[in-house]
Amino acid sequence: MSLLAPWALWFGLIGAGVVALYLLKIKRRQQTVPALDFWLQLAGRTKVHSLFDRLKRLLSMLLWLAIVTCLVLALGNPILALGRVKPRAIAVVIDNSASMQALEDDGGGDARVSRLDLARRALENLTTRRPVSDEWLLIEAAAEPRVLQAWTYDARAVRTAASAIAPFAGAGDVAAAVELAGQLLAGKSDPCIVVISDGAAGTVTRLAETDERIVHWPVGRTRDNLGITRLAARSHRQNGNHHVLISVVNDSDEHVDTRVTLELDGSAHSVELVSVGPGEVWEKTVVIDAPAAEEGAVLRAVLDRPDALALDDEAYATLEPIRPAVVWLITEPDEAFFFEQALGSMDALVWAEESLTLAPQQYEQALAALGGAEGQPTLRAPDLVIFNNCAPPALPASGRFVFINAWPKEIPAAASGGIETPQLFLSSRAHPLTQHISVQGVRLAAAQRVTLAPGATVLAHTGDGDPLIFLAEDPGRRSLCLAFNVLESDMLFRNAFPLLLRNAVAYLHAGGASWLRPEYRVGEPVRPARPLPPEVTSVTLTAVNAGAAAEPADLPVENARFLFTGTQRPGALRVRIGDEVALASVNIGDAGESRIAPVAAPGDPAEALVLSGRLLGTMPWLALAVAASLLVALEWLTFHFRWTE
Amino acid sequence: MSQPLFDKDFLKKLECLSLIARQLVFSRRQALRPSVKKGASIEFRDYREYTPGDDPRTVDWTAYARLGDLFVKLFRQEEELDLWLLLDTSGSMDFGEPSKFDQARRIAAALAYIGLSHMDSASVVPFGDGLLPSRDRLRGKGQIFRVLDFLTNLRAGGKTDFQKSVQMFISRVRRPGLVVVLSDFYGLEQARAAMDRLRFLRHQIHVMQLVSPWELDPPIRGELRLIDTESRVHQDLTVTDSMLRRYKTAFDEFGTALRRYSMKYSIGYDQVHTTVAFDEFIRRVLQHGRLLA
Repeated sequence: MSLLAPWALWFGLIGAGVVALYLLKIKRRQQTVPALDFWLQLAGRTKVHSLFDRLKRLLSMLLWLAIVTCLVLALGNPILALGRVKPRAIAVVIDNSASMQALEDDGGGDARVSRLDLARRALENLTTRRPVSDEWLLIEAAAEPRVLQAWTYDARAVRTAASAIAPFAGAGDVAAAVELAGQLLAGKSDPCIVVISDGAAGTVTRLAETDERIVHWPVGRTRDNLGITRLAARSHRQNGNHHVLISVVNDSDEHVDTRVTLELDGSAHSVELVSVGPGEVWEKTVVIDAPAAEEGAVLRAVLDRPDALALDDEAYATLEPIRPAVVWLITEPDEAFFFEQALGSMDALVWAEESLTLAPQQYEQALAALGGAEGQPTLRAPDLVIFNNCAPPALPASGRFVFINAWPKEIPAAASGGIETPQLFLSSRAHPLTQHISVQGVRLAAAQRVTLAPGATVLAHTGDGDPLIFLAEDPGRRSLCLAFNVLESDMLFRNAFPLLLRNAVAYLHAGGASWLRPEYRVGEPVRPARPLPPEVTSVTLTAVNAGAAAEPADLPVENARFLFTGTQRPGALRVRIGDEVALASVNIGDAGESRIAPVAAPGDPAEALVLSGRLLGTMPWLALAVAASLLVALEWLTFHFRWTE
Repeated sequence: MSQPLFDKDFLKKLECLSLIARQLVFSRRQALRPSVKKGASIEFRDYREYTPGDDPRTVDWTAYARLGDLFVKLFRQEEELDLWLLLDTSGSMDFGEPSKFDQARRIAAALAYIGLSHMDSASVVPFGDGLLPSRDRLRGKGQIFRVLDFLTNLRAGGKTDFQKSVQMFISRVRRPGLVVVLSDFYGLEQARAAMDRLRFLRHQIHVMQLVSPWELDPPIRGELRLIDTESRVHQDLTVTDSMLRRYKTAFDEFGTALRRYSMKYSIGYDQVHTTVAFDEFIRRVLQHGRLLA
């Protein structure tokens, strides 16, 4: 027998008190008599009576000691395992992912509890039916595994820690939590990992198959869920719109006909009818015009069907404004023709009115004019700067650049000689910069032999592997470099040249200006995509959840960066950095969380964990309490009938 | 400061008391007291047949003339009274409030004074598990102060051995006298055997059983450890009402047994309560008892 609350044994001192009271009761006063023999003659006749008295008193004391023992053991909440239960080191992993917030019926009626609550109950069930000699560890499997309770023998502390688990609305990483548990179990005797989860779309089952220490404790029964698993927007600059992909998964047993509502900045935009069979995925691409607002817009998709999991009934995406790029061409005037012709053909991509062609010596002046000196017309900052056969002495901290045949020292590429008539080969046709381009037969007069440092991506190379076109990226800058003079090639007369420029404008302009990534997962920290300008000391962040915006919060900027960790629910973020506004969406980010159908455990976890039975296992306190009551009644009867004193 | 055992008032009370022996006793010295021993006094007591060697002057010739047989006259011989006060000094006597020992000492002093006042000899013989140093055969009233000093310096304690004490007493005192035994008489069988020996030596015995109120009605109940005052032996007992009733009955039987024994063998018996003033007790005893007429 083990006591789940061994502190109750301290109440055993009451037994000592009972004995002390009886001792006090039978503590004899001393009385001097003139002749003890005289009394002994009398006592001789009462000797049997006195012995009986002692027996009666002893019986009374034994009854009370038995009552106290029963009550103390009942308080101790004993476990009767009859030797089957051995002490173990048990690491409990509670799945705290979004699917664990699915609601389940709670014993009939309208009451519903989340799977996380069921997991807490399972933990209580587990900890109260195991012996007190077990050592416990509690890990939360949220976006990152987190130890909620370090190794302890105090099962109550484990339950307390579990009660403090906050629901997590994102994707959980059960595998990482199990790995962490395995590491923390090193050196422990008879280790065991109990994963309390709805199965995490089969992850737990796969883990259990490879690690026999893992016991899956399943929770949840329902599989009624329809969820948005993906809401992604892609800009089509030439068309001035966005293509939004909506994926809806039906994880129920019935065909569902419903609708998904699209809201743009809180206003209904459109409604799409959804018809999806059980277990199937419904997908549709919706075209949405680019928002007129310069900062972009937040797109929210909402499913019009109540189900067990409400978290995935909405999803967010951000639609960036589609604006032609302001391009500065820095070249000698007599070499500008082909570039201007190519750029001039990109009406939707290049803002011709704001773009400039500058000689190399005018570049610095133009940069200085960006400050908007009084009396001078205001220049719009370039989205892309193309340097042809020239390079600035120093690169700005941020920006998008194309360098042709020359580049500044900030580019991680060192030229070491030349290559005569190299052949041009594309390294990848799938890269956005080289897509749709054919360089077969392009003749180059000469090229520079370049040695790239880490951080550069080769897009095209010679037959010997020397890079000819490469992309250099750092947190603030993105630069496309050509290691040859296009004017000394026949590339100018091929489609490859304008296509390459078009890809450069489209790729380097798109997504490059935002301070944030377009999408984050729930629980993922938000950091700026590149260092903030020095004059920015704080940013203002506004979270939009469930269609409503929260109070703006000021985030401090340290080392040109900020950090926001409040992405706890699907929604959108609006961050004001200086005069600019950046948008980002926050979604669950894992389609598996919408598949809430629980995965059955291979066996009975209670059997695997050798949990003691309820009535005779964890409930002896009830039997002991009843026994104590019966003993009290017996003691009263014995006293009432003068069997005891 | 405790009350002195004997004070002037005590001595005045003694003057009022007188000792008269219920029976005649023998005495070497011709005294005022008649003796059961037939002797040469003028008081006729009896006849007996003449035997050779008898004093011819004692032959009753008138009877010879009438009956034709020789009878000699027997006369009472007057002897002084030897008063022996056997005082129990065992631990059980030092019990009660006032203690039985103090009461016994006062009574012993009173009896000794009465004896000395009437020109008898008086002896105070304390005993416990044997005879203790005593004051023997004191004569004259002036000796009363020695008696009082002696009694004042006595201390109670130790065990009682009646038989041994009496054996030692009779080995010293062959001549019969008036023996007053002051004791609580616990160990009655021993006391009886001892008094049987005294009776055998023709001592006139008077027993005074000292009893304290506690012994008559012990104010005790419950779980007690009873400790013997003499041996310090203890015994745990549960004293209940029924047991107390049995105790009282047994204590009455104890006194009754002693009284019956005394009556059976013409032994004077008095039960002395420690709450009764000693002079009142002496007066009552002497007026109603056989010790003093």
